[in-house]
Amino acid sequence: MKILAIDTSASPVSAAILHDGVLDGEFFLNTKTTHSQTLMPIIEALLKTTETALSDIDVFAVNAGPGSFTGVRIGTATVKGLSLPDNKPCAAVSTLAAMAYGMPYQSGIICAVMDARCMQVYHALFRLKDGSVERLTEDKALSVEELSSELCAYSEETVYLAGDGAELCYRTFGSQHPNVVLTPQNIRFQRSYGTAKAAEKMAAENRLCCSDELMPIYLRLPQAERELKARLNQNP
Amino acid sequence: MQKFLSHSQFQTEEIAERLAKTLHGTEVIAMFGGMGAGKTAFTRGLARGLGINDGVSSPTFALVHEYEGRFPLYHFDMYRIGSYDDLYSTGFFDYIENGVMLIEWSENIEPFLPENRISITINVLSEQEREITMEGAAEI
Repeated sequence: MKILAIDTSASPVSAAILHDGVLDGEFFLNTKTTHSQTLMPIIEALLKTTETALSDIDVFAVNAGPGSFTGVRIGTATVKGLSLPDNKPCAAVSTLAAMAYGMPYQSGIICAVMDARCMQVYHALFRLKDGSVERLTEDKALSVEELSSELCAYSEETVYLAGDGAELCYRTFGSQHPNVVLTPQNIRFQRSYGTAKAAEKMAAENRLCCSDELMPIYLRLPQAERELKARLNQNP
Repeated sequence: MQKFLSHSQFQTEEIAERLAKTLHGTEVIAMFGGMGAGKTAFTRGLARGLGINDGVSSPTFALVHEYEGRFPLYHFDMYRIGSYDDLYSTGFFDYIENGVMLIEWSENIEPFLPENRISITINVLSEQEREITMEGAAEI
């Protein structure tokens, strides 16, 4: 089985081809150029250099969210388009799960966190054990403070912080949790390899969808309920 | 904090143009001031200071206009933004640190503005006169 996986959920962009569980190739860019300009050239170059025809791809996978509003739309729209002509199955991978699948090299808890601004994060917990990934909590949006209290339940295990919210969390509550570790830069962020690995598991569990059904995943922040409108400034 | 007295639209533009010369390329500039205060004049001056000579207009319907100058300039109008979801779906957070962001009607998104920002408040003193207050900006 060949999986083409892409990630555009935050500022970097990446694409990978996983062939029967083995990584054939992966491209990663972290420049300021927008994904709409870099993603297609990366996919094209990846297919070309790995000598893969688009028709050889069995599953198209994407980090469908949570993540940046525009990024998630670019990723899902691209996969929708690529999978549509031959009616190939798609995997709507959670960005947070992709992080956990990107690093199951030791035992412990992966706390995947993405910065949602204003001291709020998108987050989920996973347990890594013997090279497998077990999801412990659903993807959700919550405040950094709430996450800190949630982690108290795991004080007996090592908790690895991953994602672009990891540093923020570590700075905010790291000193209160001696078991919490900030993962090093080179493995901290979501990458298409993890997306492909997560998609492989989804395929085995029959959790793929068709092009039509693939949708961005947006999580609502608790703060979203609150109206923003401040009183307008005085001036007549 | 710096305060300026402007006697005309032209002077407002000139003040903004001077601010533009101090920018490094990733600033968030939040403008406060009601209808007719001179926010568009300020934007015009700032754009000119960044070497942008295209006509600048309020992005009331498009929500954001993009201009290419010495740095990219993203000109937002938050007049119709009423909730976090509205704001998120403009892609606002994706623009941060990718260029200079100039935001009209910042009143509407105040809790979500980054702390590290330049705030511009324009007070109407008379038909022609405006008091312009800048916080967080370099000396201009």
